[in-house]
Amino acid sequence: MSELKGKVAIVGIGEVPTGRFPETAAIYHAIESAKQAIRDAGIDKDEIDFCMPTASLFSPQFNTELVTCRVVEELGLKKCKKNCQVFSGGSSSSCGLQMAGSLITSGVARTVLFVHSDRLGTGVTAQGGIDLFSTAGISAEWEVPFGQHYSSIAALSTTRYKYETGCTDEQLASVCVSNRKWAEKNPNAFFRKPLTIEEVMASKMLSTPLRAKMSNMLFDGGSAFVLTSAERARDLPNKPVYILGESGVVSHFVFSQELDVSRFGWAKAAKEAFEEADLTPQDMDVAEIYDSYPVYQMIGFEELGFCERGEAGEIFMRGETWPGRRIPCTTDGGMLSKGHIGAGGAVSLMVEAARQLMGKAGERQVKDARFAVETATGGTYMDAQVTILGTEIP
Amino acid sequence: MDTPKKPVPIVNPWARPFWDAAREERLVTQRCKDCDKFIFYPRIACPHCFSDNLEWVEVSGKGTIYSFTVVENNAPSAFIKEMPYVVAIIKLEEGVQMLSNVVECDLDELHCDMPVEITFEKLTDEFTLPKFRPV
Repeated sequence: MSELKGKVAIVGIGEVPTGRFPETAAIYHAIESAKQAIRDAGIDKDEIDFCMPTASLFSPQFNTELVTCRVVEELGLKKCKKNCQVFSGGSSSSCGLQMAGSLITSGVARTVLFVHSDRLGTGVTAQGGIDLFSTAGISAEWEVPFGQHYSSIAALSTTRYKYETGCTDEQLASVCVSNRKWAEKNPNAFFRKPLTIEEVMASKMLSTPLRAKMSNMLFDGGSAFVLTSAERARDLPNKPVYILGESGVVSHFVFSQELDVSRFGWAKAAKEAFEEADLTPQDMDVAEIYDSYPVYQMIGFEELGFCERGEAGEIFMRGETWPGRRIPCTTDGGMLSKGHIGAGGAVSLMVEAARQLMGKAGERQVKDARFAVETATGGTYMDAQVTILGTEIP
Repeated sequence: MDTPKKPVPIVNPWARPFWDAAREERLVTQRCKDCDKFIFYPRIACPHCFSDNLEWVEVSGKGTIYSFTVVENNAPSAFIKEMPYVVAIIKLEEGVQMLSNVVECDLDELHCDMPVEITFEKLTDEFTLPKFRPV
């Protein structure tokens, strides 16, 4: 159990729309998101004493700019003591939040700006994106020579999950439909037209049984949050969003070394996080579950304890995760509908969790949301990170 | 677009015996002499008991398909001409897992836990890849 529970809070959030923006500079996504987050927090920009940009994947040159203090200079953060990158691929949201929280509770920092930006929609070609994600995080010795890439990885999980649970392709498609229902209400989402199971099932087969519309697409985008002490947070305009519990499991680097590709470490991470928070899945008003492909959202949903193994398909089919229904899930539309922006997929989810708890989610606001769980995973589902957030401290 | 050459394994020095054996169409893994567990992929110390006391042993090449997929579209550039191809995680009898391709098979007959055996495909003069086919 960590010392973070109730000690630190997200006090400001910012986000730019996800999409294709060839005319703007990559840094725009970072600094606009960060500007919004600082203003949303209601603090003076010079209260930021630690800037924590996570990594951008589209260009090493641009990422080096993030590492070498460009965000600090562009925004004129005059009292910033340190700019240091925290990066764990898709789980950077959780790892960044916990690193930032630890810096604050230890007294190293008072107010941390965490920011993500990337340009995978226009900074690389479509085939370039496939090729980038057939090497990034995939073992050059043990998997790349066999034609492994992120679609085949998700397909390997999906095949095994279907084999063990009897999940159907239509049930997988219903996850995409659920996320689209939320994206329809999210002005920052890329895909906002209604989607049907039939449309998903009619889309091109990529790696069996995974179809094109069961696959995320890469875009430009960015998001940011400001974290400070609970004490300071209570003087600020937004409802403080406290860290209530967290845990994680690191399971593998090489995907084929994972012993259970249809479960991973979610159950253990979730149990520990919920115990720390002194809450259960049934207490959650919002479940922001990492969704790069539908199978991972179903696995997360089940392993976190929202239902039994093998039941997620029917729950998504019945629409119980849609706006206004029983278990609001991945309420920004997720990577499947809002769009995949690299490490920012889960940063978006973290920002969305905070947005829902602050009561600022507009048309898709979950009424009286007090508690949320956010999940994140990096690389080839190398880790299972679970964070519980809330506006009250149980 | 020109199809790029198929990627060859970027070999870690301590894994060299694996690739040398594969070139001779033999499948070898490490085994820990202290805890007796088989180890794949090759390591500098046993990932189970942290011993340095490792040896190379030839393994059966028999196993089952833990999971698989047939890549039909959107493959990496170097594999576009190979489509459709099978990517699978193979669980060897010795208890270790490895990624490979299943070849010489009817794509419609593939299923999880299907028994498979080793075969080898020469990639370059230096590299031969271990692949699997239905028993």
